[in-house]
Amino acid sequence: MSPEVALPILIPLTAGALSMAFWRSRMMQRLIGVAGTAALLATSLWLFASVQEQGHVIMNAGGWAAPFGITLVADHLSAIMVLLTGIIGFAVAVYSLPTIGRGHETFGYYPLLHLLLAGVAGAFLTGDIFNLYVWFEVMLLASFALLILGGERAQMEGAIKYVTLNLLSSVIFLSAIGLLYGLVGTLNMADIARRVALVEDNTLIDIVAVMFMISFGIKAAAFPLFFWLPAAYHTPPVAVSALFAGLLTKVGVYALFRVFTLIFNQSVDFTHEILLWGAALTMLTGVLGAAAQFEFRRILSFHIVSQIGYMLMGLALFTPLALVGGVFYILHHIIVKTNLFLISGIVYRLKGTHDLKKLGGVYKAWPLLGVLFLIPALSLAGVPPLSGFFAKFVLIRASIEAGEITITVIALLVGLLTLYSMTKIWAEVFWKKAPDEDSAAKRVAPVSQRHLWLMILPIVGLAACTVFIGLNGQLLYDVAEASAAQLLDPQGYIDAVLGEQP
Amino acid sequence: MTLPWIPLLTFLGVFVPALAIRGGRTVCALATATAPAVALGLVLFFYLGHDGDEVMRTSLQWLPAMGLELAFRLDGLSLLFLLLILGIGLLIILYTRYYLSEQDSMSRFYAFLMLFMTAMVGIVTSDNLLLLWGFWELTSISSFLLISFWSHETTARKGARMAMTVTGAGGLALLAGIMLIGKVVGTYDMGTVLESHDLITASPLYPAIIVLVLLGAFTKSAQFPFHFWLPHAMAAPTPVSAYLHSATMVKAGIFLMLRLHPALSGTELWTVIVTLTGLVTMVYGAWFAFLKTDLKGILAFSTISHLGLITSLLGLGNSQAMIAALFHIINHALFKASLFMAAGIIDHEAGTRDVRKLGGLYRLMPITTVLTCIATVSMAGLPPLNGFISKEMFFTEALASQQFGGLAWIVPLLAGLGGLLSVAYSLRLAYATFFRRPRQEPPKTPHEPPWPMRFPVELLVALCIIVGLVPTLPQSPILEDAVRATVSGEMPEFHLALWHGINPALLLSMAVIAGGIVLHLLHRHMMRFNRQFKPQDARYIFEGFVQRLVALCQRLIDRLENGSLQRYMFLLMAVSVLAMALGLADLDMLAGSLGQQALDPIVILGAALLIMGGVLTAALHRYRLISLLMLSVVGLVVALTFARFSAPDLALTQLSVEVVTMILLMLALFFLPQKTPKESSGARVVRDVLIATGFGGAVASLNFAVLTRDLNSISNFFIDQSVPGGGGHNVVNVILVDFRGFDTLGEITVLAIAGLAIFKLLNRLRLFMPATDMEGRLWSNDRHPTLLMVVSQTLLPLALLVSFFIFLRGHNQPGGGFIAGLITAVALILLYMSRGVEWAQQRLDFQFQPIAIAGVALSTFTGLCSWLFGYPFLTSTFDHFHLPLIGDIELASALIFDGGIYLAVVGATLMILANLGKLTTAHRPNKDMP
Repeated sequence: MSPEVALPILIPLTAGALSMAFWRSRMMQRLIGVAGTAALLATSLWLFASVQEQGHVIMNAGGWAAPFGITLVADHLSAIMVLLTGIIGFAVAVYSLPTIGRGHETFGYYPLLHLLLAGVAGAFLTGDIFNLYVWFEVMLLASFALLILGGERAQMEGAIKYVTLNLLSSVIFLSAIGLLYGLVGTLNMADIARRVALVEDNTLIDIVAVMFMISFGIKAAAFPLFFWLPAAYHTPPVAVSALFAGLLTKVGVYALFRVFTLIFNQSVDFTHEILLWGAALTMLTGVLGAAAQFEFRRILSFHIVSQIGYMLMGLALFTPLALVGGVFYILHHIIVKTNLFLISGIVYRLKGTHDLKKLGGVYKAWPLLGVLFLIPALSLAGVPPLSGFFAKFVLIRASIEAGEITITVIALLVGLLTLYSMTKIWAEVFWKKAPDEDSAAKRVAPVSQRHLWLMILPIVGLAACTVFIGLNGQLLYDVAEASAAQLLDPQGYIDAVLGEQP
Repeated sequence: MTLPWIPLLTFLGVFVPALAIRGGRTVCALATATAPAVALGLVLFFYLGHDGDEVMRTSLQWLPAMGLELAFRLDGLSLLFLLLILGIGLLIILYTRYYLSEQDSMSRFYAFLMLFMTAMVGIVTSDNLLLLWGFWELTSISSFLLISFWSHETTARKGARMAMTVTGAGGLALLAGIMLIGKVVGTYDMGTVLESHDLITASPLYPAIIVLVLLGAFTKSAQFPFHFWLPHAMAAPTPVSAYLHSATMVKAGIFLMLRLHPALSGTELWTVIVTLTGLVTMVYGAWFAFLKTDLKGILAFSTISHLGLITSLLGLGNSQAMIAALFHIINHALFKASLFMAAGIIDHEAGTRDVRKLGGLYRLMPITTVLTCIATVSMAGLPPLNGFISKEMFFTEALASQQFGGLAWIVPLLAGLGGLLSVAYSLRLAYATFFRRPRQEPPKTPHEPPWPMRFPVELLVALCIIVGLVPTLPQSPILEDAVRATVSGEMPEFHLALWHGINPALLLSMAVIAGGIVLHLLHRHMMRFNRQFKPQDARYIFEGFVQRLVALCQRLIDRLENGSLQRYMFLLMAVSVLAMALGLADLDMLAGSLGQQALDPIVILGAALLIMGGVLTAALHRYRLISLLMLSVVGLVVALTFARFSAPDLALTQLSVEVVTMILLMLALFFLPQKTPKESSGARVVRDVLIATGFGGAVASLNFAVLTRDLNSISNFFIDQSVPGGGGHNVVNVILVDFRGFDTLGEITVLAIAGLAIFKLLNRLRLFMPATDMEGRLWSNDRHPTLLMVVSQTLLPLALLVSFFIFLRGHNQPGGGFIAGLITAVALILLYMSRGVEWAQQRLDFQFQPIAIAGVALSTFTGLCSWLFGYPFLTSTFDHFHLPLIGDIELASALIFDGGIYLAVVGATLMILANLGKLTTAHRPNKDMP
């Protein structure tokens, strides 16, 4: 029995329920918000440590042996993802204290935050394909509810697109699960992996694989399925955007990594070739889309799309090194992206707008914020010695070694454009003079020092993570390598879940 | 272990200015200078202390898996550059102290400067290619910060971004090149790479490596056609120009070519590319230096020209050329840094650096004039200064070059032309600034700068003279060791001297000087000639290019992502259909091995109804009520299908879900128009029909294919284990609450969130109850029909009883918490409808939200309880009890879990309903209200 596999799901679930029970007390909700996410972070560390020790940590929910019950499985990748969920959840919860207004709090911001985290953790930890669907639904609804916090017109518009396109993804996902069950007669992922090898007709499996790819591709915001993301991510409160930016699309990426290493590894030439093209186009459209934007969060949103391309590239190349790169990239990206969104929130709080054309002069007034922006921004662009450099470097090296010239060139080019984009934000927001300093200053209510520090604290923490990853590249590389090795050894996963098969 | 201290010291220096600025500007400057001074001392100490031929190397692990090490080396080449970087850096720090005005943040400037110095020191001491690249990028970033130091000025920001983009692009090319080298050699270790000349040049990747590495070097060292960023980087404060754009950063590209010379050079490809690029750059830069009117502009183009000179020497590649190149690097750094600083002094004191506004300064600033003129003479390559010696060596090599076969004359020709132009622009610079009669008054009356500001110039000019007179001074050990580090094989003999006797190089030199003087005299005509050309400002071209790129992106993105949900849906569906169809086309045979079940009339009828319902729902979607009715037909037939194929539980669930959904949809429809306006054009309808048919067809085919194939599933386990393992005869229920209870837990969470989301969506919404429907018909006045009231009230206890019964028996017979919850909900909804929300809420005085939450919590805690007994989460248990009178009763812990489900369903459903109902009852129908 290993409670640490289930706790990262149950803690936020309980915290969500508790938080709703104290519906009327904002104080209690805030307290539970911070305490619950802190507990999540603590258990995720525990889980991470046990996975380091045991390789796979497994719990059969309900005591039913796999493949009959629902199995919770944590391997290296899951543990990393859950740990990141804990970090981001905690950072966002702290950041929420000063930024989420009374109105949002009384409408259930904190319970939804917890439930969203439960959904995310559930998706990372489940070893059952249908259960994955369930957690996707939890996530989808919780995120939808968070998106409409405030109920402004733009939010509604974004949220409707978000929920419609994601429901389509769910439909495809569910159909694919049904078809897969029809082919292999089981839902446990390890068992599916075992039985897929026995199916005679590979073509049907391939079709199902592509359906999974589309469904998860929508979740991950890959080309040409990403539309919901830039439509929605810039509308809700910044804490929500930051949480979404860090975690939600990565659940889709995680699912792709899981399914396309464990289950659909039969016709790599076919499936992973599609993924590779998808990755290349995702990178390009994302970064080109960002070039055309002049809204802080919309630029960042398009960059999420572009970065997803890098992660998919790691999966698509399907060599040990490439998978290391992919995992490393996910790890680095979640922290950096969340941080950039959080910073955009401070800028918004100080200046009252997200529009680059109206912003300016932030560096002069708050130099520390400028430095704090540069760390994740340069990391995103892949500048050494920050985390993004290693991620990109490993991926590009993998692509060179795999002899994939096109994707190498695209990956390098996208890196340059990302750098350009970050300098654009830097120049427009931080360096240039604010266009109408006086009128802007009047409009925005002053921020109390205590609030400002509460906002900066998580940013400093995440920036420290970025620098830490950069300076201890080898440590993180080892982690990524271990998880890549596991991903490339489906048999190990199957044996761990089902027990050694004769 | 001590080598890493050199970059580390300069890096620590980044933080010093911010701390020291409290002590005043002078203290700040002195404190900042400490780190590079100590580093310089260390360098000399190390270098003099180590013995002979061994290269000093230190390495620390960083990312060994990727071949990235914190490895540093100190050889002759590093030494030469370190002396330049740290030595001139110190002078720049001193100079800056007097250059920056009170308004500028000195600590920030020094911090950026030290960051840049760290990067440069890192580049020249790196013993690992990747590490070198890292520092390379850091120079791009820090120079970006430095160039746009006056960030309020648009030119500074734009110039900085241009520099960053161009050198950044080159940096990425370099990275690719380095990775290719790593692929060929198998390591990024500098020592190994330098010894792998044969391996690299023999590799088929060699041309790619050369091109990529040179792209990096050329962009950094402003070689034609990537030179255009340098003149615009002159928007930087002058100390930056003096440091970055003459002595250090632009030399990084040169350094790279020198460093990798042993590994990459010696092929025809290398010679052709490098020599020609260098020569073209030299002439091009010199020509534009001649035409510029801005002091710093002249110097910028002159720098480009001299960098071209060095590059072309590197291309020629024999050992004598290498010596000339290294020597010229020193000389150029000396005279160009001093000239930049002098230009800064003039700008500072006269308020302008436009030569058209200057003139006659020799009277006002005699010392500066002398210093500048000496440096200028050195730049022009006139004797007896250092510039002359290295240029003589350059001419010698150019004349001796054997490359390009029959076109060999092109090298001395271009070299001579470049030399001629540099004489001309040097003359022009000195004449126009100092000696020509002033045409207009400069903005400020110039005077001599404070002595410490002039001191760096004096020192550098003195060095120019000393090196010119005693050229053997830097030869040993600096130059010799540098040559040893870059030239493989025997150490060549060389002798530096002013006078080599009369030789072709000297004749060429004299011709060039004469030509230069003539050209200078013709300056006005040249300007007139130049005016015929449209002025090309790289900034506009670059910005224009960027703008066009942005516009293009805008168009592309608009086309793809135009904000229309219909568009997105179409694309998603189209992609899905395409993917499935392609896969299906690949399938050998759709039908599998299993035979098909015989069709009976009932199934056919059901299928027909289902299809009809579906088609009509879509076809009649504009008539919403009818469309909804058709949808309910679909739901009903699905429920019947479940019943037909022996799934009573599913049928029951589907039925109750259908009822609740329909009621809620009807409630929502009340507020909406009854008809949808016609929006789709004919073509779009056709498109949509095709997509829908395709999607349906593909899914149906897949289903057919899957269902006709053999299946060996896990379901038998559930059937076998239901009673002994789960304690219930109803397998579906046991699956829901036990085997796959975890799923159910998730699903009721979803339900609770959905209720919450709708609550939030509707909470602020206030609608007025319409008095009529859209066609003007009045709604019935009889809002609460008596009959319905009576029926619903009678039905309520009965329904509650039924739902309780269904809940209890759920474990063994069709039923369970989910269905029971829905039945309760339906009964309550009926009550609400018949009596109105207010009446109902007065009597059902509690919130539904807590009920839904309590449901989720109850289920979670049931699961957690099993932990207390040491079982995995959600493990269920059951036992049989014998109660008197009632008999044998089976109690399963799953029942409590099921109770949670029941509560969650009732709570969530009624939460939605109550909120939909409240929309109108909060405001009585009153059209007069605003």
